Amino acid sequence: MAEFLNNYGFLIVTVVQQALLGMSLYYPLSAGQLSLASPGFYALGGYIAAIIGTAELFAPWRDLLGKAVFPLEWIIAGVASALLSLVIGLPALRLRGIYLALATIAFVQIVRVISLNLSITGGAIGIFGIPQLFESRWGYIWIFGPLLAATLLFTWRLEQGRIGRAFRAIREDELAAEAMGINPTRYKVQAFIIGGTLAGVVGAMSAPFLNTWNARQGTFDASIAYLAYVLIGGTRSLWGALLGAALLATLPEILRPLNDSRLIINGMVLVIVSIYLPQGIVGALARLRGAGKKKGVPAGGKT
Amino acid sequence: MTTAQFLQNLLNGISIGSVYAIFALGYTLVFSILGIINFAHGAVFTLGAYLTYAMAVGQFGINGLLSGLSIPVQLPFPVALLLGCILSGLVSVLIERLAFRPLRNRGGDALLALVSSLGVALVTVNAIQYFVGSEIYSFPPEIYGDIKPAITFSISESVVVIRTVQVIIFGVCMAVLVSLGFLIARTRFGKALRAVAENPATASLLGISVNRFILYTFFLSGFLGGLAGSLVGTSFGVAGPYFGVTYGLQGIAVIVLGGLGSIPGSVLGGIIIGLIEAFVPPDYSAYKEAVSFALLFLILMVRPQGLLGQSQIQKV
Amino acid sequence: MKRLFFTVLVVMCSTAAHAEKIKAPIHIGIGVAQTSNVALFGEEQVNGAKVAEAVFNAKGGINGTPFKLVYQDTGGDEAGAINAFQNLINRDKVVGIVGPTLSQQAFSADPIANRAKVPVLAPSNTAKGIPQIGEYIGRVSAPISFIAPFAVKYALQENPKIKKVAILYAQNDAYSTSETGTFQESVKKQGLEIVTTQKFQTTDSDFTTQVTAVLGAKVDLAVISGLAADGGNLVKQLRQMGYKGLIVGGNGFNTANVFPVCGKYCEDLIVAQAYSPAVIDTNPMNKEFVTEFRKKHKKDPPQFAAQAFTAVQIYVEALKKVEVNTKNKITQLDLATVRTELNKAIRTGSYKTPLGEISLDKEGEINQKNFYVSRIKMEPNGKSGKFLNVK
Repeated sequence: MAEFLNNYGFLIVTVVQQALLGMSLYYPLSAGQLSLASPGFYALGGYIAAIIGTAELFAPWRDLLGKAVFPLEWIIAGVASALLSLVIGLPALRLRGIYLALATIAFVQIVRVISLNLSITGGAIGIFGIPQLFESRWGYIWIFGPLLAATLLFTWRLEQGRIGRAFRAIREDELAAEAMGINPTRYKVQAFIIGGTLAGVVGAMSAPFLNTWNARQGTFDASIAYLAYVLIGGTRSLWGALLGAALLATLPEILRPLNDSRLIINGMVLVIVSIYLPQGIVGALARLRGAGKKKGVPAGGKT
Repeated sequence: MTTAQFLQNLLNGISIGSVYAIFALGYTLVFSILGIINFAHGAVFTLGAYLTYAMAVGQFGINGLLSGLSIPVQLPFPVALLLGCILSGLVSVLIERLAFRPLRNRGGDALLALVSSLGVALVTVNAIQYFVGSEIYSFPPEIYGDIKPAITFSISESVVVIRTVQVIIFGVCMAVLVSLGFLIARTRFGKALRAVAENPATASLLGISVNRFILYTFFLSGFLGGLAGSLVGTSFGVAGPYFGVTYGLQGIAVIVLGGLGSIPGSVLGGIIIGLIEAFVPPDYSAYKEAVSFALLFLILMVRPQGLLGQSQIQKV
Repeated sequence: MKRLFFTVLVVMCSTAAHAEKIKAPIHIGIGVAQTSNVALFGEEQVNGAKVAEAVFNAKGGINGTPFKLVYQDTGGDEAGAINAFQNLINRDKVVGIVGPTLSQQAFSADPIANRAKVPVLAPSNTAKGIPQIGEYIGRVSAPISFIAPFAVKYALQENPKIKKVAILYAQNDAYSTSETGTFQESVKKQGLEIVTTQKFQTTDSDFTTQVTAVLGAKVDLAVISGLAADGGNLVKQLRQMGYKGLIVGGNGFNTANVFPVCGKYCEDLIVAQAYSPAVIDTNPMNKEFVTEFRKKHKKDPPQFAAQAFTAVQIYVEALKKVEVNTKNKITQLDLATVRTELNKAIRTGSYKTPLGEISLDKEGEINQKNFYVSRIKMEPNGKSGKFLNVK
């Protein structure tokens, strides 16, 4: 058992972490908004944790709180991300479709360039020597795991409730929803804030997990990776992000024996999966189970 | 800023901008027809540069499967360039058949096309590395003939300098833009293309084969991408399979600024982004990218359809 | 999911492997970036390591026991480095690791190796603080502070009238940002004036803005910290646009990869080197390395290759020391013991490597005496050139 955890512990925790980042993108998506902003909040959260963990300025806090400084980092990261989401979201969410996506891409790039240039973030080198919450990488499952479980539970309740219904209404047809008295902007911003906060908290948890933090942790490539998790996993189910992350985050590692052609095969799998599983893994599983009723999408039809 | 400095920045900006413009056109063409951004475009850009290099110079390095490969026959540069562009166009068509069409046929989520094109980009870039390694390849300076490296002229006491290869690139870009403009606006082919972009259903009712025009569009897009890549390669060297990545992202800023789907918009957007990059004061050059993206964000807030794009009417 | 379950089952059924003896061939791990946009450096490191494998196995390996290099690609990011290192440590059961390519990856993955008590020798990490990550972390890449002043002094020798200096550096590269600090100090110590400081990105290809600023400031010396592609282009554009002064390039220029980029404009570029393939008369190990490398690849080895070769060499020689110290063959010892003894042995004595005679202090920091300043001389065809040692 110990050896299994030594070998695969980091990977499993990474899958959980990536699933959470996929979820952060799922919220806006479930309200019909394509936001690729998560890496920006992830980077922000990570820097907050890294700075609190290493800067001289915060040494008294660290001495005072001991291990309790970690939950503090998460809370601060969460609050900061929530505020930033509000500031960015209010103007950005007036945009539709691809335009919103592009605005969020711009946001991520701006965060990255700023973090590359400030001295408090360590510039190009970043921040290293981040104090550890757990000795082994597998230990971090004790924070990521419960967070994932809590997130899934929260999402499930959300989707059952009024807010979730509002999201779905907006996703299906924003104008109709507005006509029915739902204020789309309010709900879209809510979805955006939930996603951003989650990404920020995950970032704060990830800084010790990766031992170091730098401007390379929140990039455009990451946005597309999270989007891929949700798309491949299935955009209409809260399990989608987890399934997608489980497949895509482990894929490069499973393909390790292939050495040089590893990433070529990885890319091909991405293409094949996106073509043959257009409803995602969740959709494919549902079809396999021969579920009679689906969410109103007739097989093969498209007007 | 003195007149000389202003002029220098202007020239710098226009020359960078013209390459961005050509590159962005590839995105625009595909977007206008399919409504999606083709993330494999950056990879076609890169591939185009390598293909042209293979045909014009053909000496490969020590890494990769084809290490030490030396292609015995070299083509004169203009021929190699043309062939490189055509091959890039064909590769782009192949990408359309393999990664985009099956999705359309199956009624998949349009966003899946993003993931699919990303997969293609990943395959292409890594395949290049697999075959020829990551080393830097350069075109010999004589490919453009025997020319001075730079042109200088004086304004009052200051000197304004521009590299000749930049002038050449600008010239080629303008020629291509004019030809493309003519093709789209004045020929039957162009009219059909515009019809498909406007409304595929109506176009097919009028007897235009939508699928075939999509292929043509991808070919054009790939041709332009390969052209931009080869030109950049001659100016700065082919710096490894990832050298198209920055262009890929800047290209997105360009098309948003100019207006998604608008051809003149891409040109305008490219020039503007190029000018911005050139005019950012040297002390803040680290923030160059942030400036383009901040501008992008601003444009999206104020005028999301871009400078020359069509205002999107929400259909009920 | 199913596969994972079965793997768990299988692994749980196997007996604990900790006390097992090391089997020949002895595994040494290479965890560098073989893919991603830094693959160029990883490729060079792999090439250097492969030459070391051939050379030292031909000499009998570790007192008769052969060794084998095991490769795990770290990719370009931090998580990839952690995964690669874990594979090397747990699955491939290596006695030591050479890598990773980037300092940022080292900050991420080295603590993991350190906690697992596996020695790591970094061939190319030059940021401050790397050996201090842990007692199992060491490096053969000299931190930049030693090399820079020599190059500046040589430039002054060439042109004693230098007054104004331009500093240019790639600010998104950890290596270059550290190096430029040392260059700037060194320039100031010589009493020269820095009239302009320009930043650029390693991904930039157009430097017209920076070049214009340099030309406008009428400098006598330009000091550039960057990598081959960007630095080479910067040099080319400086020359094409008429800059006539001296140019000093940092350690990132110490590779034949600059030749295709700046071509004939590379001529007379002054480069600070931690390694020189030209020093073969006084350094027999380097002579052997350069000869073997040239045989295989038909060109001179770049610095990254030399450093990777050195790292493997140190492991081989240290493993021999372990056999002497413990009076046992490696194959009679268990993995954990070898790793710890190897780590200790690395930090003793000195090694005659292609980098010159070097040793590692108890923190794992390298002590290197030989640094070189070279001047690039290009062939008439403008395609290839040489680094000619000066000083």
